[in-house]
Amino acid sequence: MAPDAQARGRTPPDAQARGRTPPDAQARGRTPPDAQARGRTPPDAQARARTPRDELADATEHGALYLRRLRQRQLALSLLALVAFGALVGVLPLAIDLVPQLTRLELLGIPLAIWLLVVPLPPIFLVLGALYARRADALDESFRELVRRR
Amino acid sequence: MIAILAVAAVTVGTVGLGAVGTRLARTTSDLLVASRAMTAWWNAAAISGEYLSAASFLGIAGLEMQNGVTALWQSLGFTAGYLCLLLFVAAPLRRFGSYTISDFAEARLRSPRLRALASATVLLIGGFYLVPQLKGAGLALGVVTGAPYFVGVLAVGLVVALNVGLGGMRGITYVQAFQFWLKVFAIALPACLLLIHLGGLPARAALFGDQLPSAGPKGLVVSLPGPQPVTFPAATRYTIITSPHGRATDHARHAFAGEQTTLPVGRLVLPPHAPVPVASGTTALRGSEWARPVGGGGERSPLFVYSLLIATFLGTMGLPHILVRFYTNPDGPAARHTTVRVLGLLGLFYIFPGIYGALGRVLAPQLYVTGATDTVVLRLPQAAWPGTVGNLLGAITAAGAFAAFLSTSSGLLVSIAGTISHDVWPRVSREKTTTVAIRRLRFRLGAVLGMLAPIAVAFVAQGVDIAVLVGWAFALAASTFCPLFLLGIWWTRLTAAGAGCGMVAGALVATSGILVGLALGEPSGVAGDLLAQPAIVSVPIAFLTMIVVSLRAAERPTPDAEMLALHAPEGLDLPEMGVRDPFVLGESATRAQG
Repeated sequence: MAPDAQARGRTPPDAQARGRTPPDAQARGRTPPDAQARGRTPPDAQARARTPRDELADATEHGALYLRRLRQRQLALSLLALVAFGALVGVLPLAIDLVPQLTRLELLGIPLAIWLLVVPLPPIFLVLGALYARRADALDESFRELVRRR
Repeated sequence: MIAILAVAAVTVGTVGLGAVGTRLARTTSDLLVASRAMTAWWNAAAISGEYLSAASFLGIAGLEMQNGVTALWQSLGFTAGYLCLLLFVAAPLRRFGSYTISDFAEARLRSPRLRALASATVLLIGGFYLVPQLKGAGLALGVVTGAPYFVGVLAVGLVVALNVGLGGMRGITYVQAFQFWLKVFAIALPACLLLIHLGGLPARAALFGDQLPSAGPKGLVVSLPGPQPVTFPAATRYTIITSPHGRATDHARHAFAGEQTTLPVGRLVLPPHAPVPVASGTTALRGSEWARPVGGGGERSPLFVYSLLIATFLGTMGLPHILVRFYTNPDGPAARHTTVRVLGLLGLFYIFPGIYGALGRVLAPQLYVTGATDTVVLRLPQAAWPGTVGNLLGAITAAGAFAAFLSTSSGLLVSIAGTISHDVWPRVSREKTTTVAIRRLRFRLGAVLGMLAPIAVAFVAQGVDIAVLVGWAFALAASTFCPLFLLGIWWTRLTAAGAGCGMVAGALVATSGILVGLALGEPSGVAGDLLAQPAIVSVPIAFLTMIVVSLRAAERPTPDAEMLALHAPEGLDLPEMGVRDPFVLGESATRAQG
């Protein structure tokens, strides 16, 4: 176990995951341009124009700026989803409290308030989550494009 | 008898499968290779399987029976917690490569002292969350075998400590995924069959009208194993039979509305349609009150509901056993897609507990007398459908309850034992020369030690509802780890000092609220709501403390490398920036593997 752990410490398991071609890129039949260069530093790296990827890899201020933009866009997306969630769920307790008709009216013999509590929200969570995941993946993908292109 | 067999089968099956599986997947890399081949659906089922605890399986239905449909907010919050996890935590944390909360705290803020604080908090939350699991186990074993409460708690605590200590169960995605579907089956099948058998929801007056919970058309006989203090909500006649067979000691009595008395050991006989007395400390609700999700005081006040929603929404990510499971996702996007599926699977499960609470109110009113509403999922099948079918369905729910209890408490105990063996142990012995054998021994001792305190608390907290205990654990997690994650992942200026102060402040406010509420005997009004469910106050305090203390720091932190590790998408072929300390990683790997 001990040597095993040491070995793993040097190359953490997610190093492999990260080095790998993203599965969606493979699925679309695209090969990342730097796939060939993986694992070794090209000798002419200095001569070549610096790409955003180099800036990121060398942790320059330039690279930090690229990353900050991505982080802010991801955060904005998450907050948007949070607001949507808050608007739907946050309003419900207050609505049930303030609108007595919801507890008085019945659908199939069960008060409307209970239907509202039990039925619509879990599917809404699912849809909201799925939409968010798609957008977040797209943001990641466009960042990847940006970093690779120049 | 069938129930005992079913429970034994689930226990032996889980422990056995875990032991075999661990032998097959010896190292963490094996485990990761295996998990890469695993689809998001398998991972999602495994995450849900570990998450669905005694609180979900027994607690929600019990609380619903006692306090009304307002309890269903809890299941909503339990599901929504994964939405919060998805939006803010899942992908970055997976990329960062931290296995545990303590690893994240140390690596993100470069502070071993913050790690110590995070570890202490893990122990506190894990312990808090283990108590209701043990309580559920004690109750369930009592229902199945008739054993006293403490026997169940001890026996099951021992089984789990043994299971974790021997390295079973953990990290085996297939076992956890199987447990999830077992739980769904065990709660859905009896519920559906009972609804079909009864032809829909019976006795609507008791559920939604103005009726109190009352004895059925044939009257009701409740056996009382011990003296039972009760309150009669309405005037009724009743008889107490104290001798096992004879009629010589029968006492026909009359209770007036609001009468409080202590029923002696024996049997309580109520005439047909008589309103049942309720165990003191609980209130008998009329149907219309019971069926109101929000409105009025106590558990139904809007303030309490919002506070509960905040605690569950933000607290899920801070439960110690949740994050390790996310590591079986190969990368950030996979973590996202797995979480979306978890939302669907949990939504599916939480359709069913509410049915038991509603049916229990009509068909198992005897549970109001003894205050054992937490056992409604286990008792309802026999009560609603006497005979073989009821027994069989009861055995199924008992097996499901044990699966729920085993999976969650094993996951928790692995986190607790790992924390004890890695962080609490004296620093001297943390040198790298420690052999695997010593580390494993420490982990086992940690598993035993980690079980002792929760067992002790479970004895004391016998009278507190499962769902209430769980609510506290969530409040505590939401007030400590949630701000740590949200600010740590998305805000560059968070400092270790800020994070530490915020966690301490949040934990202090949350625990003192809970303890003061207990000491004062659950006061009513706004103060009572806040003491019982302090998240709506303690979470903002924790966030504010973290932000203010961090902003006052002399120099701006520069977590560029950490931010890169958290947010850079996969496939850029960047140098690794996550958790760098090989010792920490190796130790965590051991922990993840169990």
